[in-house]
Amino acid sequence: MERLKSIYLVLLFGFLYLPMAVLILYSFNASKYGTHWDSFTLGWYRSLATDASLIGAATHSLLVGCLAASMACFIGTLGAVGIYRYRFKGRIVLQGLLYVTLMSPEIVMAVSLLVLFIALHMELGFCTLLLSHTTFCLPFVTVTVLSRLDGFDRHLIEAAADLGAGEWQAMRQIVLPLAMPAIAAGWLLSFTLSLDDVVVSFFVTGPEFEVLPLKIYSMVRLGVKPEVNALAALLFAVSLLVVSGAQYLLQRKPK
Amino acid sequence: MKALALALSLFCAAAWGEGPAIRLFGWSDYLVQEVLDRFTEETGIAVNYTSYDSNESMYAKLKLLDGGGYDLAIPSTYFIDKMRKEGMLHSLDKNQLPNYKNLDPRQLDKPFDPGNQYSIPYIWGTSGIGVDTAKFKLQDVQAWADLWKPMFAGRLLLPNDMREVFHIALHILGFSGNSKDPAQIRSAYELLKKLLPNIRLFNSDAADVLFVTGEADAGVIWNGAAHRIQLEEPSFQYVCPKEGVILWMDSLVIPKNSPHAELAHRLIDFLLRPDIARLNSEKVGSATPNLEAIKLLDPKLRGDAVVYPPNDIVSKGEYQTDVGAAITIYTEYWEKLKAE
Amino acid sequence: MRQGNFFRTSVILLLSVWLALFVLIPNLLVLAASFLGRDESGFINLSPGLGNYLRLFDSVYLRVFAHSLWLALLTTLACLGLGYPFAYFLAQFRTSVRPVLLTLVIIPFWTNSLVRTYAIRSLLAARGLLNNTLIALGLIEEPVRLLYTGSAVLIGMVYILLPFMILPLYNAIEKLDHRLLEAAADLGAGRWRRFWQVTLPLTLPGVIAGSLLVFMPALGLFFIADVLGGSRDLLVGNLLKDQFLDARDWPFGAAASMALTGLLFLFLAAYAYSLERFAVEDRP
Repeated sequence: MERLKSIYLVLLFGFLYLPMAVLILYSFNASKYGTHWDSFTLGWYRSLATDASLIGAATHSLLVGCLAASMACFIGTLGAVGIYRYRFKGRIVLQGLLYVTLMSPEIVMAVSLLVLFIALHMELGFCTLLLSHTTFCLPFVTVTVLSRLDGFDRHLIEAAADLGAGEWQAMRQIVLPLAMPAIAAGWLLSFTLSLDDVVVSFFVTGPEFEVLPLKIYSMVRLGVKPEVNALAALLFAVSLLVVSGAQYLLQRKPK
Repeated sequence: MKALALALSLFCAAAWGEGPAIRLFGWSDYLVQEVLDRFTEETGIAVNYTSYDSNESMYAKLKLLDGGGYDLAIPSTYFIDKMRKEGMLHSLDKNQLPNYKNLDPRQLDKPFDPGNQYSIPYIWGTSGIGVDTAKFKLQDVQAWADLWKPMFAGRLLLPNDMREVFHIALHILGFSGNSKDPAQIRSAYELLKKLLPNIRLFNSDAADVLFVTGEADAGVIWNGAAHRIQLEEPSFQYVCPKEGVILWMDSLVIPKNSPHAELAHRLIDFLLRPDIARLNSEKVGSATPNLEAIKLLDPKLRGDAVVYPPNDIVSKGEYQTDVGAAITIYTEYWEKLKAE
Repeated sequence: MRQGNFFRTSVILLLSVWLALFVLIPNLLVLAASFLGRDESGFINLSPGLGNYLRLFDSVYLRVFAHSLWLALLTTLACLGLGYPFAYFLAQFRTSVRPVLLTLVIIPFWTNSLVRTYAIRSLLAARGLLNNTLIALGLIEEPVRLLYTGSAVLIGMVYILLPFMILPLYNAIEKLDHRLLEAAADLGAGRWRRFWQVTLPLTLPGVIAGSLLVFMPALGLFFIADVLGGSRDLLVGNLLKDQFLDARDWPFGAAASMALTGLLFLFLAAYAYSLERFAVEDRP
């Protein structure tokens, strides 16, 4: 039984990792169509490094990812605190709207945002993309922070308020430090979601502001491009580093 | 915090500090990178190439952007007519295009754009049948109607292009590929429904790659892609079907609100230069309407019937034209076909 | 107290206004558009009617919806079937190994999904690893056509969405109170009985959460069907994309989007209902 379990785990990890491993291996293959192993090359990486429009798109992606994640964290954290602390009319509606946004298929959101931007005669590009990404990141941050706050003793904040701390002060000195891990997690998640998003970006950005996932999409559509293998290997390496780094830091923290 | 601010400002600098770049919206693999790189080298102007896989999606995107965003597009003839009439195009200044004189007068001043006020012919060619003779016998595919043979069950590659696919069926039925008659379009749809079991995929992005990597071994293909496949796979053959090929010509246009119309003129003129038009024709594998470029061509390529179809093939072929409001009928049947 | 009121109003307003502007109003616009007519050169034309919804009932579009739901269901079941034992075994490892294994599950989730779709494509290609291996082993002579089939799309969906199933399952299984299982064993329940009557019911919230996290995105991921299905497998996501970005029939696309949203509400309502039931059962 124990052996069976291990075999199953290995097989499933194989399923998760084998396709990526093949891509990485083939990123060093000189064959143009990748139908056979030709010879070892770093050429595809070199051609990535010189592809100005790809680097531009990557920069755009990082920029939008950082800004959207930060905006979502700002609005989402404050919103979560509001929902957590106060009882107000429409609180249930607001929460409901958050969950609906969280669960609705990206394509539905993409379509509705496109209709909004066209109705407002907004030029599709950086602004529309940033607004859209912030919108789909927002519920993730709010819900993450809210669930962390829910685990705390409400009296802590009330005690602070009793001691004369203003709302801002209570927020800065008590709520924010408590919620920080959730905010950080929300930021990281938002950043990843933004960097990964194809569906929404496909609808709401314009040619002036190309982003990496769309660039990859058009490369992938064009069939076998060895550069995609190299790019895949790089992106995989980045997520490997980020995730293991984060896990390592979490592990080291004293319990 | 400081590090984050620094990183952000660096991103901003990189994102907005780019010099002027022409945003080119074209069919995939329609312009070789080599040509674009040479343009950048000579002029210092970068070219950003984005591809589309059908006239419809190109048109929809330009509509969405209200003619802004892109500086150059390469629609097919019948879309130029439509876009011109809808005021989506920027009129061209021939004074900025000294190389315009190199073009074959027979390819100019066509009904879809009288006087070439809005468009410059770029390349033209045929759509026919591509077949890997290692898998199928050449004599089995001599006509469009042969594609319906059961031997092709689940094997065919078709372009993801509504008008093109309907053109074939209309042709077999003896109608014009530009029919506006709902009954004729309907019968073409009925015929295409029978072709469905033979279709493996619709794709007009990467026909060449699909053949070379062994995913496709027969299908409808543009002559340019056919030429490129032949260079990789000698067993591949391009057939001009008995009923007559589909002819196409794609032209360079500048969208109405192009941010860099002047630079776009420079790129058009560059592409009209004989040596560049020749290089492009050789690499893309389709014919150039540029007379001076044809003079420079390798005689082998000039004589290649795939790339430069002989007159008897051309005279039997048919161009697509704008079908006006009938386009919605096509669209509806096309959707039905793909959802089938 | 004035400052408090100002703070209170502004934090609530900020989130509310944002959601109203970018979620509520856009969806209302889509709803409004779904009752209008198509315009060939513009976007919509003001000819109100129910025509777009009636058109959805055309057998072709019904089939698209049915096929998408079916595929999403298959994906969910496949993820559940693969993911449950995986999460279960994972939770039985020593506490020191678990975080490492969990990290290994999370890494693919953080890798660009298009890149992973492309990876599946390379694996299944006619001259890809799978076919080459089978040929080398002498099991087949000609490459099997794997790409551009319904199964390719399914495999791609499962590959992309599997981590979304495993993580909530793992969370639920890890929290499982082992004393309950011991008690059941003491009472003479066998291995299977313990699983069916204790483990499964207690981890059901994880199952439902994971299923929802897989099912919902599976309805919208048009690029997987595009890249792996060769435009033969039309899903709701592709239909919406085509209506808005190719065929330019916005009102009809809007109606299809509304129909999808309607379905979503149905599933969410079912989820809320099931949650309530379990919440009652869970309470000690």
